[in-house]
Amino acid sequence: MTTRAARVHADALGAGAPSRDVLRALAAWTVAALVLLMAYRVDTQFARFWAFGLAFGFVLQRGRFCFASAFRDLFLLGHGRNMKGVLLGLVIASIGFAIVMARQVPIADLGFLPPTANVLPAGVHTALGGVLFGVGMVLAGGCVSGSLYRMGEGYVASWVAFAGLMGGLLVSSYTWNWWWEASMSTAPQVWLPRSLGHSGALIVTLLALGAVFIGVLWIEHRAGGVVPAPRTADEVSDSVAADLRALGRRVFVRGWPILIAGAVLGGLNVLLFTAQEPWGFTGEVARWSAELAGLVGAAPPPLLGASDLPGCVIVVSDGIVNHMTFLVVGMWVGSFAGALGAGEFKVRVPAQPVRYAQSLSGGVLMGYGAGIAMGCTIGAFFSSVPSLAINGWVFAVFLAVGAWIGTLIIRRIA
Amino acid sequence: MTKTLDVRGEICPYPMMRTVSALKKLSAGERTLEVVTDHAPALDTIPTQASRLGFETAVEEVGGSEWRLVLTRKREAS
Repeated sequence: MTTRAARVHADALGAGAPSRDVLRALAAWTVAALVLLMAYRVDTQFARFWAFGLAFGFVLQRGRFCFASAFRDLFLLGHGRNMKGVLLGLVIASIGFAIVMARQVPIADLGFLPPTANVLPAGVHTALGGVLFGVGMVLAGGCVSGSLYRMGEGYVASWVAFAGLMGGLLVSSYTWNWWWEASMSTAPQVWLPRSLGHSGALIVTLLALGAVFIGVLWIEHRAGGVVPAPRTADEVSDSVAADLRALGRRVFVRGWPILIAGAVLGGLNVLLFTAQEPWGFTGEVARWSAELAGLVGAAPPPLLGASDLPGCVIVVSDGIVNHMTFLVVGMWVGSFAGALGAGEFKVRVPAQPVRYAQSLSGGVLMGYGAGIAMGCTIGAFFSSVPSLAINGWVFAVFLAVGAWIGTLIIRRIA
Repeated sequence: MTKTLDVRGEICPYPMMRTVSALKKLSAGERTLEVVTDHAPALDTIPTQASRLGFETAVEEVGGSEWRLVLTRKREAS
């Protein structure tokens, strides 16, 4: 124990040879760079999505950014750390998306929607999907993006949750056509700029985010306030090299402040939307589960209406590998490399067997919820609210209800 | 003498929940609780939870993605 602590301390002072953590991380980044080069030679779009995947996974890992705890901890711990990061990300993405959409559809009230923004039908399916997803993410200890980056950190339970997620998405694709007839096909796609204009819709969205922020502060103070996490003291810097070392440690070793992580994720989402489409990936994971089911002759039927919708709507088939495959796998690798560099990779095995059951069932609920809500906390929320679409807010409200129910359940599973 | 709570391997949010319930179960005479965790997000949430119950948090990096948190009862709060 002492020798390990001493080694970490030596790293902090930047003394001696690069540590094992640094070498491992360099190896992982080298492999990631080689994949980037190979992908670039096949298709520049593959390379672009690989780079975005790496960046998203790295930032999620460094910021310990978790949508499940953003909602859950308001109820469970009276703590808004993650929600504040989410809100800042939404503010930045809303401004960026508004600028892009105003160029795509200059006259908002003609009836055209921005082609790739996540303006989705908002109805009973969105609400029920939100509740199921909210319960599931709290049970599993992470939403889809949270489980993805924790898989890269070595959490075995997150791999189990991901398996459940694939199962839940598959079940939802069997029931998609029923939901299409019952709710999706008649539910309105409400895009705020159509009635409020581009600026009006942005102002209303920012005011609503501000109101949520005040609510978060109120919850924190009612629960007894928050204290900042204790930080290890910065060593006194006496040279440019020492400054750079300190900066490197802040980026690659220490956890990022949540507001920085939220702002970077919001900015990356704007860049990805500018390049092609908003951040989201449950459609791709659903495709994997459908392909696997197809191998045993249990492929889901063709999905009504799905090909006309944007966002994370379930995709039936698009070859074996497409650009989205690079995004999802890139998130694993980015998180894995980030965890290695910080010395935070560890195979974590839960001591209680009940955690596996919890993660699996949480994953199934999340999968079914994401399937019918047409996205997870990313596609149906983090990319939908900035699309200035009402479905993002509907999903968020019911996600909060589900997270509250989830906290009641996990308190009983000690 | 100090009690140690080992929450290694636990999934989110059990490291925080089990720390809170262990702090609540300490008798008035017990001044410190040591928590061993491999769950980095707990470093951001436990200090606030501990402070609300009258404890200060010191974080020690053990290495290998493990941390030891020493929670000590605040003087004025006892």
